Amino acid sequence: MTTILAEARRASADVHPLVAFRLAALRGRSTPAVIAGAGLFFFMTAAFAVLPALLDGAQSSDRALSMLLLLPTAYLAFLVTTTFAIIGAGGGRELLPRDEGVAFPVSPTTDHLGALMLVPLNIAWILQGWSLLGLTAFAAGAQNLWAVQITTLAWLFFGTALAQAIAWAVEGVRRLPHGSWVVKGGGALLALGTVSLVLADNVTAALDQSPTLDAVVVALNGRHVNGRWATGTAVIIVGGVMAVAVGAFVAHLVARRPPLEELQADGRAIAPRAIARSELAALVRTDRSSVWRSVPLRRGFLILALIPGLVAAAGQLEWEMLPVLPGLVASGSALLFGVNAWALDGVGAVWRDSLPVRPDLVFAARVWVLCEVLLVASALTLVVGGLRAGGLPTTSEATALLATLVVVSLQVVARSMHWSVRRPFAMDLRSARGTPAPPLAMVTYSSYLALTSTLTGMVFAVAAQADDPRLSLVLAVPFLLAAVRRLAITRREWSTPDTRAYVVATVSTR
Amino acid sequence: MDGRSHWSKGGVIAVLFGRLSQVSSPAIDVRALHVQFGAVEAVRWLDLSVPAGGSTALVGRNGAGKSTTMRVLAGVIPPVGGEVYVGGHDVRRDALGAKRVSGYCPDVGGLVPRATPWEHLQLSARLRRLPPGWEEDARDLLERFDLGAAAHRVTSGFSHGMGRRMSVVLAAFHHPRVLLLDEPFDGVDPFGAEATLDVIADARSRGAAVLVSTHLLELAVQASDEAVVLRSGMVVGAAQANELGGEAGARAYRALLA
Repeated sequence: MTTILAEARRASADVHPLVAFRLAALRGRSTPAVIAGAGLFFFMTAAFAVLPALLDGAQSSDRALSMLLLLPTAYLAFLVTTTFAIIGAGGGRELLPRDEGVAFPVSPTTDHLGALMLVPLNIAWILQGWSLLGLTAFAAGAQNLWAVQITTLAWLFFGTALAQAIAWAVEGVRRLPHGSWVVKGGGALLALGTVSLVLADNVTAALDQSPTLDAVVVALNGRHVNGRWATGTAVIIVGGVMAVAVGAFVAHLVARRPPLEELQADGRAIAPRAIARSELAALVRTDRSSVWRSVPLRRGFLILALIPGLVAAAGQLEWEMLPVLPGLVASGSALLFGVNAWALDGVGAVWRDSLPVRPDLVFAARVWVLCEVLLVASALTLVVGGLRAGGLPTTSEATALLATLVVVSLQVVARSMHWSVRRPFAMDLRSARGTPAPPLAMVTYSSYLALTSTLTGMVFAVAAQADDPRLSLVLAVPFLLAAVRRLAITRREWSTPDTRAYVVATVSTR
Repeated sequence: MDGRSHWSKGGVIAVLFGRLSQVSSPAIDVRALHVQFGAVEAVRWLDLSVPAGGSTALVGRNGAGKSTTMRVLAGVIPPVGGEVYVGGHDVRRDALGAKRVSGYCPDVGGLVPRATPWEHLQLSARLRRLPPGWEEDARDLLERFDLGAAAHRVTSGFSHGMGRRMSVVLAAFHHPRVLLLDEPFDGVDPFGAEATLDVIADARSRGAAVLVSTHLLELAVQASDEAVVLRSGMVVGAAQANELGGEAGARAYRALLA
């Protein structure tokens, strides 16, 4: 027991130098930007935790009651989406990437704690965290708000730690022989279960049984700062600590097994095809292979394409609200590789740049493939989300959906290619735990994309309610022109030898 | 039919002049090359020339500027100053032309992780517009480099040595007029090194100019007629390659690096 505790202390202490190592890589304007970002995060968190309680109708109105009834579902949704996000990332992000970490004695416990620390550096986690704080504040009111929000923060900690532990367990199963199929089967069963609940109209009844109801009751007891609140909150915190410990134990088990699925993908034979008919077709084929043959990219794509659609279907989101979805899905898909698109070539980037082909053609191929991925993911989400949207969409709704699909995809592609050329990173996209950019850059990218694409989606959600379907088409024009203009500027930059040399040299070091 | 009956007087003069210019102007011609990354001068006023059918080794310690020079010649890095001609193409003004006549093996990696060797060859063949029939040469080269069995496996699972050998195949399979090999022997087994030396000899016999960058002196001596020694981005010595062979050559080489 003493040895385990000593190891745990040592592993916890090792997190600090790893964080310092990552922060030391910040250059130039990055440091003040990180400080400003952290300041903004704490300010916004405080604002979400307090301000809604001061609004008219807080705690006493019908709306506050509705929010109160929504809280257990919101607590559960936080746990579920965080768990899926970490499962999709193969057990969570790495404080030190795998290939850099091999030279250091980093224990699985340190890796686990690092992954846990990085979970909140994700716009989906941040937005949900803020939503929980805001909903709780509005539903509970200002009386002893500090106590209520301590419980909410405790839940955020517990939910994150539990999600991380579950994700390690799933990753452990995935690494067993045939484990990948077990996980896929489990996922399919879960999806079927959800669909059957939805079809049987039992979603509300099931949510009423959610154990998160107890957590909400504990939080509300905070208004009276009584013993039930203190005990309940302590239980949640202790549960979180236990989840961290269990997660560390499971992380050790996972570390003993190689990632079979990724290794099998490295060694598998691919049937040869006839040579491509044109230069552009040859380039597109190579880029497409780089995306679809990557296990983590395929996995991320499936989760992004299906989960939001299933959630929309479960919530019976109507056609006029569905335009909000493509933006979120397209943003998520771009965050798989698009925001650092040239890293897709990895160490092969230098060889590719030595081939005799016009740079603008190479650019066009990359844009084409990124568009393809985004459009397919968003379209799949709309198809799944539309299953329970109530009959067929009206012409206005259908036009708005189509316009959103094209506009947000092109918007996200234009912005992603801009970042890819301006701020390339040497990142390993082979690992499921890798990201196309460092964690802090990913927060910036995801925040920007989520904000702009959601706002665009909302514009078209309003247009979907108009009588004249041409309104969506007219609204799409300025968005499209702006995106095309940005793409043209980026293409010019990419065609400059100095810029291209910088990008290629940067991304090819991995 | 007498083939000469097709030749006009002007045509013959043009061909002769062309042949003469091929003989007189080197296939690789570098004059006062200067490359700078921020405050770091990677290559300083480097002069270098390799004639058609000739082979030169760029040797020197790590960070001497060998790979940067190779990247400039491959059209991957634009030079800050100086003139660089590859196969008669100015890499600054006509990088595409230079890329068309050359084959380049980069110093690190060089392979797209999720594509197979055959797909690499197909991409290169398409972009170079190789006529049908290139497949036979490519297959032959893959076999010579012991990569035939791995031709349809994605390269992310390749060992370092396999990756190096494949990069040499990619540089040479289309019979370029200029062959640029950056550290082709690094981490390669003796059979792979032998196959690379054969490729260099084949290229030279076809009249191609070969530039090999390596820090392995013995292999540089075997691969080249001439060796150019770089230190801190500058040429500090040049000699017939055989002068750098043996113990005496190694001593002279170390003296230049010190």
